[in-house]
Amino acid sequence: MHYVFQFNVVWEHLPELLNGALLTIELSAAAMALGLLLAVLCAYGGAAGPKPVRLLVQAYVELIRNTPFLVQIFIIYFSLPVAGIRLTANTAALLAMTVNLGAYASEIIRAGIDAIPQGQVEAARALGLRRLQIFRFVILFPALKTVYPALASQFILLMLSSSVVSTISAVELTAITNSLQSTTFRSFEFYFVATGLYLAMALGFRVVLNAIYWQVFQRGRAA
Amino acid sequence: MRLCARLLALVMLIALPTTLATQRALAETTLDKILKEKKIRVAIDVGNPPFGILDKDGQPDGSDVAVARQMAKDMGVELEFVQVPSTGRIPALLAGRADVTIASISVTTDRAKAVMYCHPDGALSIVILGPKSVAIKTPADLVGKRIGITRATLEEATVPKMAPQGTNIVWFDEIGATIQALLSGQVDAVAMTSFAGKTVADANPDRGIETKLPVTTAYYAPIVRPGDFELRQWINTWIFLNTQNGTLAALYKKYTGVDLPPLPIF
Repeated sequence: MHYVFQFNVVWEHLPELLNGALLTIELSAAAMALGLLLAVLCAYGGAAGPKPVRLLVQAYVELIRNTPFLVQIFIIYFSLPVAGIRLTANTAALLAMTVNLGAYASEIIRAGIDAIPQGQVEAARALGLRRLQIFRFVILFPALKTVYPALASQFILLMLSSSVVSTISAVELTAITNSLQSTTFRSFEFYFVATGLYLAMALGFRVVLNAIYWQVFQRGRAA
Repeated sequence: MRLCARLLALVMLIALPTTLATQRALAETTLDKILKEKKIRVAIDVGNPPFGILDKDGQPDGSDVAVARQMAKDMGVELEFVQVPSTGRIPALLAGRADVTIASISVTTDRAKAVMYCHPDGALSIVILGPKSVAIKTPADLVGKRIGITRATLEEATVPKMAPQGTNIVWFDEIGATIQALLSGQVDAVAMTSFAGKTVADANPDRGIETKLPVTTAYYAPIVRPGDFELRQWINTWIFLNTQNGTLAALYKKYTGVDLPPLPIF
């Protein structure tokens, strides 16, 4: 095989690639925040809610965790207009990513909640803490601390899987890369650079997530 | 010292032509490889009716596929299909996963910078189509409309140029997603080949999908890797013979339902 690499065409289009990477970061960061919120609500509902709520949470988690992400995206983007809801590609992508992350993260948080010793909860109750206070300070906070590394991995995974939202015309990094490679035919060059950008973004997110861990769980607290 | 230099010169004089000759003999062309292995690997796109589709048994079918089958038969080699999405037609060839791509790739100067075209083996038209309820009569009517197109296609190369400022162009990775976007109402109209458009309109008679505007007409041709002149020449010979004997015209008519226009060569 003889192939001459020509990276100059990639550098010409670098601003477009960076724009795509920016949308990937925005979508991922927003989905991480909303997904975590959804996951905490589901974890609370699943652990302490009434039976119908628990069943609902369980059904949602199983449905999302046992179907492909791509199919979920298609259903949100192509089926909702039939019901009269026409979302833009970016909104549909954010919704799909949030719903997907919510299910996975709620399972991770549930594992953390399961690991809280029952005696700790009983002690809190004996001290007269209210239900929500117990959940917040005695259950959720230590649980999140325990499962934080697993959550962080799931967040990175979400950022990487955002590459498939290009199928519904969201113009993130993979979409831009596909368009550029198909008009310039420098597919290896563009995919190499896109790979590098994804790696950089994943490492960047990891640094930020580690900083958040340190800020929230470590600072000012003796171990 | 002088003896040494002379000896060295003598050795080089003998060795140089021998090395060149061996190098030429060693450089096996893609055509040699195909004939030696008795197998040709053809990249096809089965998501692009009527050129490449999967039949009801899940087997590749369509005019491109029929051309590939006839070509391999006439070459006397086994045929191996490499199924690629439309965005993978050129990368699969350049990466060496296929020897030739026969996937109705319309001839453009941009693509010719990356791959070598054989002579055209068919022609296609790109049109904009949409449901009756959407009013598009001139290109100016595209302003404010959402127009779906598929990446790595002729429509991606032509529609953004003809559409006036203010047209909302929406890119999809696969023609299947573009069609779905039209049917679900995510876009107002789409651009694709007239044949694909007819397939969509016929399959969804209740939607009243009609052709709105012509975009362009183009010839398409098989592509090979840069430098594969021997293979290109064999394919050109095959295209010449099968234009003469009517095989290409018959295959084209069978799958598209229209007559094959006269094919130019270049």
